Amino acid sequence: MRFFKKTNINFLGPRFRWYLISSTLILLGMISVFIKGIDWGVDFRGGTELVLAFQDNVAIGDIRTALDKVGLGQSEIKSFGVERDVLIRTTQQAEGTVVGDRIKKAVQDAMPEKKFEVLKEDKIGPKIGAELRRDALYAVIASLIAIMIYIGIRFKFIYGVGAVVALFHDVLVTLGVLSLLNGVIPGLNLEITQEVVAAFLTLIGVSVNDTVVIFDRIRENLKIYRSLSLFEVMNKSLNDTLSRTMITSGTIFIVLVVLLLAGGEVTRGFAFTLTFGIVTGTYSSIYIASAIVLDWTIRKQKRKEQVAL
Amino acid sequence: MRKQLSKVILIIAAVLLSLVFLLPTYQDYQYRKRISSLSGQDSIAYVDQNQEDILNAKLKRLKLGLDLQGGMRVVLEVDVIQMLDDLAKNKDDNFRAIISEVRTQSSANDESVIPLLGKKYQDRGIRLSRYYGSIRETDAAILNQLKSETEKAIDRAIEVVRNRVDQYRVSEPNIQKQGGRRIIVELPGVKDEREVRSLLQGTAKLEFRLLRDPDISYKVMQSVDNFLSGKVEEDTSAAAKTAKKEQKPKDALEQLLAGSKPAETDTSREATFTRQHPFFSYVIPDQRNTGEGFVEEKNRDRVIRLLERPEVQRLCPVDFEFMWSAKTQPMGAEGKRYYQLYAVKRTAELTGGVIVDARASVSPEDNRPIVNMEMNSEGSHDWARITGANVGKRIAISLDNRIFSAPTVINKIVGGRSQITGLESPNEARLLEIVLKAGALPAPVAIIEQRSVGPSLGEDSIRSGMSAGILALVFTVLFMLVYYNSAGAMADIALLFNVIFILGVLAGFQATLTLPGIAGIILTIGMAVDANVLINERVREELAGGKTLRAAIDAGYAKAWSAIIDSNITTFLTGLILYQFGSGPVQGFALTLMIGIAASLFSAILITRVIFNFLTDKGVMPNFG
Repeated sequence: MRFFKKTNINFLGPRFRWYLISSTLILLGMISVFIKGIDWGVDFRGGTELVLAFQDNVAIGDIRTALDKVGLGQSEIKSFGVERDVLIRTTQQAEGTVVGDRIKKAVQDAMPEKKFEVLKEDKIGPKIGAELRRDALYAVIASLIAIMIYIGIRFKFIYGVGAVVALFHDVLVTLGVLSLLNGVIPGLNLEITQEVVAAFLTLIGVSVNDTVVIFDRIRENLKIYRSLSLFEVMNKSLNDTLSRTMITSGTIFIVLVVLLLAGGEVTRGFAFTLTFGIVTGTYSSIYIASAIVLDWTIRKQKRKEQVAL
Repeated sequence: MRKQLSKVILIIAAVLLSLVFLLPTYQDYQYRKRISSLSGQDSIAYVDQNQEDILNAKLKRLKLGLDLQGGMRVVLEVDVIQMLDDLAKNKDDNFRAIISEVRTQSSANDESVIPLLGKKYQDRGIRLSRYYGSIRETDAAILNQLKSETEKAIDRAIEVVRNRVDQYRVSEPNIQKQGGRRIIVELPGVKDEREVRSLLQGTAKLEFRLLRDPDISYKVMQSVDNFLSGKVEEDTSAAAKTAKKEQKPKDALEQLLAGSKPAETDTSREATFTRQHPFFSYVIPDQRNTGEGFVEEKNRDRVIRLLERPEVQRLCPVDFEFMWSAKTQPMGAEGKRYYQLYAVKRTAELTGGVIVDARASVSPEDNRPIVNMEMNSEGSHDWARITGANVGKRIAISLDNRIFSAPTVINKIVGGRSQITGLESPNEARLLEIVLKAGALPAPVAIIEQRSVGPSLGEDSIRSGMSAGILALVFTVLFMLVYYNSAGAMADIALLFNVIFILGVLAGFQATLTLPGIAGIILTIGMAVDANVLINERVREELAGGKTLRAAIDAGYAKAWSAIIDSNITTFLTGLILYQFGSGPVQGFALTLMIGIAASLFSAILITRVIFNFLTDKGVMPNFG
């Protein structure tokens, strides 16, 4: 069975169009981030987060009234997947787990007949929150640098740059989408937690996969088709690997959709980030990475006369 | 053929090894099923018979993370600054100012405390030897000493925490040091987090303190009351004068009593009394002339705030301190609960360091829970001296600055024995016993991070993780079969081996499986086929180019190799970085990702190759669709 018979698509010809589309997407995303801010989860903001599973339905308004009595009315209160599970989050800090206890007691006092079970409780001190944010940033930067160096060594420096530009593009677009869609779809919780940051790093790792496979084919084809220009070789390589790229990305995508739908509320943010990230990752590997290398090489070529590849 | 044979042996060895590693998990699962199906007596007998095997299986099985089995994860930070405060002598205002500066500065970032302290002293031109060590020592030497003291203290704190957790009998606890002064404690299956928190945090600072005489106690209370009601005492110290200028007592009083202050126009007797005696309206002096004060439960916080004010603290004489009772007592007709406020000496006569044994027990007199303590020889000696010198006086026994009881000394106690009474439940006695036996923490620890997952969420997570995993596996297997035909079937076989390998390696390394870890395995399933897709696509190309099947397979593997290596190494690199950055569950994910990549490389390349070679040798033509 074949999904992709021999193709001959001109990927790199209209690349300026793709540059434009990508820039627009990134811009839209960043505007949303700028306006809405990044929705850091409790891991990064510090504070207390509780998930209470009630036996009957509870109105969020009632819970807020209960929390108001202990000065915690400003907390974020939303449902956690199913309607009976409630997530309560506040950035208020206190000694040890005082805040969590206060919340539990307030709810119990206000609604003694509604029994609940604590599904999970997190308390993050302010120092930890700041450290985790810093670590997350370092991790993303470190992986981009590591990849740039590795690809730069295995291929040429410019390929490293091209790959990293594509990856950076993926991170920004996905970040933008998360920001845009956060709170838009009811029940879909898209805040930035530790798992979501892990999803970003994974997305970097998986997206670079596609890019490397394409680069590898370019490298091989350059040796074989010495008479063709870089533009033509790249296009051919993209077409040669198209089948593999789409199949692999498709399989991973469907596997992630399974995780997104069947994996439970806890991994939902992670799964969504990764699912979307795979899509942009594939797109950027095909349309952006090689294009960057091409344009850079053309510019260098214009300065020199020789092209040594 | 020889090359083929060694490959086959390698594969079989890998599979067997994985299965061996996974066996305990299966065994443990079987034992548990068996035990839960047996009734009470039978199950106990069964456990006794097979105790060693059951324990063995439990130790070696695949460990589930806290997010899958429920439990608590706590990060403690040792309060090094408090320790430095306690270690110093001749403390004066300068010292206190420096300590508080160090505290604010080091809480903003993660700066190391000791060098910071050294710098502060240097900036002010004060020698460290004024407060630490001896005058002959240089600043650098003292700093070094303090540094090693703090490091030793942190290690001791870890030991104490470990002891306490051991005695609390959590199964498979995990205690690790993190960074300079943090301790990570993971307690699977723990249900009562409040107990655990008090277990971990209580410094267990045990102290024996003499009570001050009742008349002194009342005199101080009276002066506090006078001060707060606006009849300001004449205080000739310069500090007090400046303090007076800063804040008028009456305004401060209004602030403190906000919400409960009777309106100016409220002329009821109660209101007048509260205005005229702001302290005594909340602290009721004991009519029996013991020097204690009784404070209703709801008013305790208010009184604490009143007493914390620096002006009030200055009213207390040198060796004088107010201390609260640990528990409340019901008093009066309505049975309202009251705390007791004691007046004690600031310096303790004896501390918990002398306690060598503690035992929870029941008092023979009134059947209430108590803890019996025994002291070492030096402690017994001091205790005899102290009790001998203070017959008829009261000695308060306090734990973490809360007084449990203040019995009167009847006669000299020679045997080095003492008791803690006033406990609420046998459980509390048991916790106290653990904490006293394991030792006092050298410095207070703060909980800076706590995550707990209830067991039902854990079960849900396991269930959804597994169903997602199986679905993903089924889909991938079917797809490969349909798209690549028999070549796809080979890839599927490799995939299944892959999953066994991943789980086997996890079990073998005693690593922990978390929910993100399961997500990692699912992701690996999707990615594992990539290597095979690369190979299969390449083989198709070679076939289209006119090569024979055998030659096409060889070429496919050879040419796909570089792409497979490069792409997997880059993903592995991000996994590695993620492992470094992440903590807890995220690390679990990174680990399964890395193991998954390694395993998939192994199975995709080796296993499918072996199978292809085997088949083509036999003359069977695998179909590449």
